[in-house]
Amino acid sequence: MIFKLEDVTVYFPYDNIYPEQYSYMLELKRALDAKGHCLLEMPTGTGKTIALLSLITSYVLSKPENPVKLIYCTRTVHEMEKTLAELKLLHNYQTRHLGPAAKILAIGLSSRKNLCVNSRVLAAENRDSVDAACRKRTASWVRALAAENPNIETCEFFENYEKAASAAVLPPGVYTLQDLRAFGKQQGWCPYFLARHMVQFANVVVYSYQYLLDPKVAGIISKEMQKESVVVFDEAHNIDNVCIEALSVSVRRQTLEGATRNLSRINQEIERFKATDAGRLRAEYNRLVEGLALRGNLPIADAWLSNPALPSDILKEAVPGNIRRAEHFLHVLRRLVQYLRGRLETENVEKEGPVSFVASITAHAGIDQKTLRFCYERLHSLMLTLEITDTDEFLHIQTICDFATLVGTYTRGFSIIIEPFDERMPHIPDPVLQLSCHDASLAVKPVFDRFQSVVITSGTLSPIDLYPRLLNFHPVVSRSFKMSLTRDCICPMVLTRGSDQLPVSTKFDMRSDPGVARNYGKLLVEMVSIVPDGIVCFFVSYSYMDEIIATWNDSGILKEIMQHKLVFIETQDVVETTLALDNYRKACDCGRGAVFFSVARGKVAEGIDFDRHYGRLVIMFGVPFQYTLSKILLARLEYLRDTFQIKEGDFLTFDALRQAAQCVGRVIRSKADYGMMIFADKRYSRHDKRSKLPGWILSHLRDAHLNLSTDMALHIAREVGNFY
Amino acid sequence: MKNSERSRLNGEAEEEDDEEENLNGGLEAWERSYADDRSWEALQEDESGFLRPIDNSAIYHAQYRRRLRGRSLTAATARIQKGLIRYLYIVIDLSRAAAEMDFRPSRMAVVAKQVEAFVREFFYQNPLSQIGLVTVKDGVANCLTDLGGSPESHIKALMGKLGCSGDSSIQNALDLVHGLLNQIPSYGHREVLILYSALSTCDPGDIMETIQKCKESKIRCSVIGLSAEMFICKHLCQETGGTYSVALDESHSKELILEHAPPPPAIAEFAIASLIKMGFPQRAGEGSISICSCHKEVKVGVGYTCPRCKARVCELPTECRICGLQLVSSPHLARSYHHLFPIAPFDEATPSRLNDLHNISRSTCFGCQQSLLASDLGLLSLILIFTPKIFPFDGEPEARLAANILQSLLGCEHEGCILTPVGLIMTPAIVGKYIDAAAAAAAPVYQMKSPLMMRRKSFIKYILAADPVLLYVRIFLCYFQV
Repeated sequence: MIFKLEDVTVYFPYDNIYPEQYSYMLELKRALDAKGHCLLEMPTGTGKTIALLSLITSYVLSKPENPVKLIYCTRTVHEMEKTLAELKLLHNYQTRHLGPAAKILAIGLSSRKNLCVNSRVLAAENRDSVDAACRKRTASWVRALAAENPNIETCEFFENYEKAASAAVLPPGVYTLQDLRAFGKQQGWCPYFLARHMVQFANVVVYSYQYLLDPKVAGIISKEMQKESVVVFDEAHNIDNVCIEALSVSVRRQTLEGATRNLSRINQEIERFKATDAGRLRAEYNRLVEGLALRGNLPIADAWLSNPALPSDILKEAVPGNIRRAEHFLHVLRRLVQYLRGRLETENVEKEGPVSFVASITAHAGIDQKTLRFCYERLHSLMLTLEITDTDEFLHIQTICDFATLVGTYTRGFSIIIEPFDERMPHIPDPVLQLSCHDASLAVKPVFDRFQSVVITSGTLSPIDLYPRLLNFHPVVSRSFKMSLTRDCICPMVLTRGSDQLPVSTKFDMRSDPGVARNYGKLLVEMVSIVPDGIVCFFVSYSYMDEIIATWNDSGILKEIMQHKLVFIETQDVVETTLALDNYRKACDCGRGAVFFSVARGKVAEGIDFDRHYGRLVIMFGVPFQYTLSKILLARLEYLRDTFQIKEGDFLTFDALRQAAQCVGRVIRSKADYGMMIFADKRYSRHDKRSKLPGWILSHLRDAHLNLSTDMALHIAREVGNFY
Repeated sequence: MKNSERSRLNGEAEEEDDEEENLNGGLEAWERSYADDRSWEALQEDESGFLRPIDNSAIYHAQYRRRLRGRSLTAATARIQKGLIRYLYIVIDLSRAAAEMDFRPSRMAVVAKQVEAFVREFFYQNPLSQIGLVTVKDGVANCLTDLGGSPESHIKALMGKLGCSGDSSIQNALDLVHGLLNQIPSYGHREVLILYSALSTCDPGDIMETIQKCKESKIRCSVIGLSAEMFICKHLCQETGGTYSVALDESHSKELILEHAPPPPAIAEFAIASLIKMGFPQRAGEGSISICSCHKEVKVGVGYTCPRCKARVCELPTECRICGLQLVSSPHLARSYHHLFPIAPFDEATPSRLNDLHNISRSTCFGCQQSLLASDLGLLSLILIFTPKIFPFDGEPEARLAANILQSLLGCEHEGCILTPVGLIMTPAIVGKYIDAAAAAAAPVYQMKSPLMMRRKSFIKYILAADPVLLYVRIFLCYFQV
């Protein structure tokens, strides 16, 4: 359908539009008009993506004088593909109505692992080794050698791409990763480099968060994006955690050992070069004297991870003299590793700010802040000079250099925490040194500063006023939309008491109470007998899940459950979990029925959908608070309180509730879907907790369902005709 | 207003109590009000917390509309091919879940009762078809009765076998039914109706394969769930072209199960016309003693003789045990036939029109156009109310039957009237009986709509008791007339 939204003609590929989609578009358009950032919450399954895409593309079409580029960030490759598929549909619709004028170029960009078409490169098992295998064939020096010696393997796709040079362009259209691969195969061009090249010219780019948020990647991929871009972060409820992770580094003993190995390897290389090609090292030295900024003349294939979000002056500065020579730099790194090893030997938990940590490094290892800051760049330059292509082998030393650069750069918003052992297993020494970032706004700040509009959208962004504070920006629009439904397809309820009327909770003091475990078990046993197909249960943590399952096993509850449905459990092992999920799906498909035990904040809670019959009921056992004794969390809470005036309790509740909402939201993926949601903890009935749930759940949460016991919940479950 | 409603509610409850007093006097008053009828289910809480009786009128209206739509749909597409010779297996789930008490007294008992009604209705509408019963218990499927055409034997077998335990298995049931249905001739329509209480199925192998097998053998599988929608059942029905429905309560489940009585549209692959050899046995041997081939018993009284091998069978329709010939009677054919040419939808009659009916009196016979005797006129004006054009009812098989019967009664006794069947054994005494019944029903007809319906039912029962088979012969003739 085609309709007018204020002064924009919107092309919407479907015949009907939901009211919430319309208001979503309206708000979005106003934000674009105002050239500001916005926060929009709309439940999943209401066609958020298509509303967003069709509005932005139509906006561009109706205002040709200022071409706006759309940068769409997704969390997973799967979501990326889905978005591109929607965009394709939309694009077909628009070209049908507008002719070739509506033609755009839209591409997805992903890692080499997802885009490579070279079968020998793809044989490598993980992302890093694919990257390394690619570099081994495409690095400029390798290709130069190969020109002389035909035995050295190169990648024919890359060669063809290079030969085609500027002729290698994508015709307008929408390219999913699949299409890109097919196009690359057909033309014989490397799709990865083609896509990377085309990113500058594309009207729509779909890629992962990391390409914008992780400063190391953002530099190369996203630096050429124009200012007039609309950046969309989809499923952005965890954006603060992504930002924090992008800037956090943890160093373990293994890392240090690996780094030492790497250093000696580099040392050998240097010796070799000294013997054979001393001029090369000297050339590098000269280059470093002139400054890092000149490094740009290296060919594109060699430009790998570089350029953390450093203050721009660092790029113009020359590398300090004491690490310009390769050997000297190695000495510095050795000293740094040695120092870190010394720090790891500690018996106590230590917490330090970056400033004092740097001071201590200067005192003990004699490395000053400026030197630390350049570690990353220097290592990068050195590895290029030494023609090292198997970069996956050198991850450890890269980690150390990341660490050094971050410590050297930032004085606020970080802390260094050294823990000699894991809290939960105090007998096993496993020292870890963590540089943890507390300020999510650091990583995302360049994005907000650079681009005209940033749209943050997700199914769960409640309470919506907290995100601007966490990310430190000022949205022009922040709205939460409700779902308009033809029938009540979700039935949330809060269960506060067990069948024996005792309160249930995973509160710390009640956690070990056998009565609570029994009540939870009873609830599940009753539910499995009346709910068809799949049930998903979320627990607050792995340890709690283990504990409660053990209790259920002893008391025979597990057996009772098994009479009705099969039980599958998420574990920390990815392969095992995937297998369990597969079998869970199979059990739901063939009608046996199954229960999946999972953990809030786990892989399953974040990325796996339990739509349709895979999830007819979801039970959230307890409130998924973070582990509040964790040193990192404590440090972050303190920082939030001091800097953003966010109370600890508020943040913890917010975080727990968004996790809970995320968990229960797994079961509703479209309007035709239906399911029950049980929040089994007495704390959910309190207003401060409940009010932080997203609006679309709250609007279905009737007052009568706020304080239920097991048998009342059971009665309601029977009552709801929604299983019809 | 609230008070008045309360008092009205109370009043109703008291009335019910009075009625029940006679039925179960042994219980205490408070027990009585809970024992038999779940009074609390008739109430629901509204937004402000008041208790209100559940408003069912909307539901009824929706059902009524749906039926109307369905009727007009069938009328519009009246020439849909339908499978008239059906081989239906009813799979009854007798697993643990069947003992649940959410239907009173238990799902199992309710299902049995409804299967009984369904079997009767099924044979009534599809006299040429056959039914078999399969039960699933402890994960194993058992064939309770083989395919057969006698409602009584099925019902007897089912009632004797009630009792539930263990898990349920769709795959085992389908495998068994598949094996049984594969042997039947290709003109027959293979169908399975599963009445499923459980919420899961415990299968020995891959159920998807079994579903594919059923699809290949063109077995139409339908499921009626008693608890909640299950994915696998939906999948099964989608794959094999059946329907899937889930019952909300007892009355709904009855409605759903009876929806399966009229024959479904034919599957395209089966739509090729084929000739079937059938025998039309004579009714003979009145009062004589002979051994019937179907029960292998000595029987006295009416029986039928197979035209090919002269064996004696005691009921129709059936398959001759000796020569395997399909034995039917012409009314059976006729009854099946009317699925192909359903009667036109009725026009709804407004009360005012009902009153006008006094004045509309045709004085000529529908068949021969001769003027009727004055004494017939009383009957005629009554009959007009029930004729299809103004019949205020729709869908119900009984209503259809009534229309059929009355249509047939429209014939007169004039000589040469085409509605007077040749050689029909319809004595004036029988017709007189109908007239009596009609007269008995006639008095209140013109006053209100609802008493009309009630009377109509009793009227039909009365006629049914007379002799349905003979009536049907006339109905058959009527079709040619219309």
